[in-house]
Amino acid sequence: MSERPDLGTAMREALPVYEASPALQTWAREEARKFDQEHLPKPESVDHTSRLAVWRLSQWRIAAGLLIAAAVGYGAGSLGLAARASSAGNEITNALVDTHVRSLLPGHLLDVQSSDRHTVKPWFAGKADIAPAVVDLSDKGFPLLGGRLDYVDGHTAAALVYGRRQHTINLFVWRAAPADPSDGSFAVRGYSLVHWTNGGLSYWAVSDAAGSELEAFRQAYTH
Amino acid sequence: MTLLSYAGRKVDMGGAEAPQTGRFERTVLPHLSAGFTLAMYLTGNSADAEDAVQEAILRSVRYFQTLRDDDARAWFLTIVRRVCLTAYRTNRPQGTDMISIDTVGLQLVDDREQPDTAAERLQVQQRVRDAIGQLPPLLREAIVLRELQSCSYAEIAAVTEVAVGTVMSRLSRARAQLAALLRDVVDFGDVA
Repeated sequence: MSERPDLGTAMREALPVYEASPALQTWAREEARKFDQEHLPKPESVDHTSRLAVWRLSQWRIAAGLLIAAAVGYGAGSLGLAARASSAGNEITNALVDTHVRSLLPGHLLDVQSSDRHTVKPWFAGKADIAPAVVDLSDKGFPLLGGRLDYVDGHTAAALVYGRRQHTINLFVWRAAPADPSDGSFAVRGYSLVHWTNGGLSYWAVSDAAGSELEAFRQAYTH
Repeated sequence: MTLLSYAGRKVDMGGAEAPQTGRFERTVLPHLSAGFTLAMYLTGNSADAEDAVQEAILRSVRYFQTLRDDDARAWFLTIVRRVCLTAYRTNRPQGTDMISIDTVGLQLVDDREQPDTAAERLQVQQRVRDAIGQLPPLLREAIVLRELQSCSYAEIAAVTEVAVGTVMSRLSRARAQLAALLRDVVDFGDVA
């Protein structure tokens, strides 16, 4: 060898620089776009027509905000209570969305894969301390795909997985606690959540399907 | 937290505008592979590295408002490193080597390879890998960020959450240890 390379050259020759896999890149890009879509640029960067649209939108936002504040305030009895409920809700809805997103990565979705509720329900026995109702809703457009044990925000949860056309719905079930947010619909980072409580169990349905579809899912599941 | 009916309309406004790359996609995503590379050298395997980067993206989304300046790479690498450390410290005995480059599947592709020098160069590369593998983790991390990922001293200080002076001292100790092993094949300039 005539010339000795310097350390940087020698290291770059000997040690690889890695590329994130295409699956990881695609997933990360989708997450980024969902986030960016919820944090659109300020009005000053858009042209006249869009500015009008943004102005209309902001009017609409204010109106919607007032309505929401009124509704939440009414429900909780006071604004102070409403604020607290909302921040507790934020934490849990964020954790639920994180878990939902993680479940969609290859190999993470199902521990037991079956469209037969007689296979899925016994699978949970002895694994979770709760036995959620496992109902097949394929006739209502929500085929049962299987189930999984998961851990969300300090809860061991049974996760039932349903399909909705190209979407996946995770239904997380755990023992209800007094601190749980009250029932309702939520949207976090482009995902929809519907929460309800029944028979001492807390249910959270999470999906990237539209909120109205999740509400239809709740009705199908509870009836 | 937003009510659903409200959020449903919120995203419908794009209409006539040309699709624009959003700020998160523009500032953080270009550093995905840098994050993955760092995670590979911290965890030693691609499955853990993928998990770490996924978790780092989720955290980046949540803490995006803490990104103040334009140094998104150091910011993202800091998050990746924290995920790796919290994930792997817990299930390792005290004092166990955190990073093991030996277990990384190293696959080198070099198109410029000359047939008659190939064997010698491959031998040198193996010696470089072995020498880097023998460095203490904190020194190895610093030299990998510096030489492989071309980070500035300030960036390394930000990512590893220490002072710039500490970074310089770690780099100089790393170089001295490498020089002791590799001086016959690598030019270390002034390092005696």
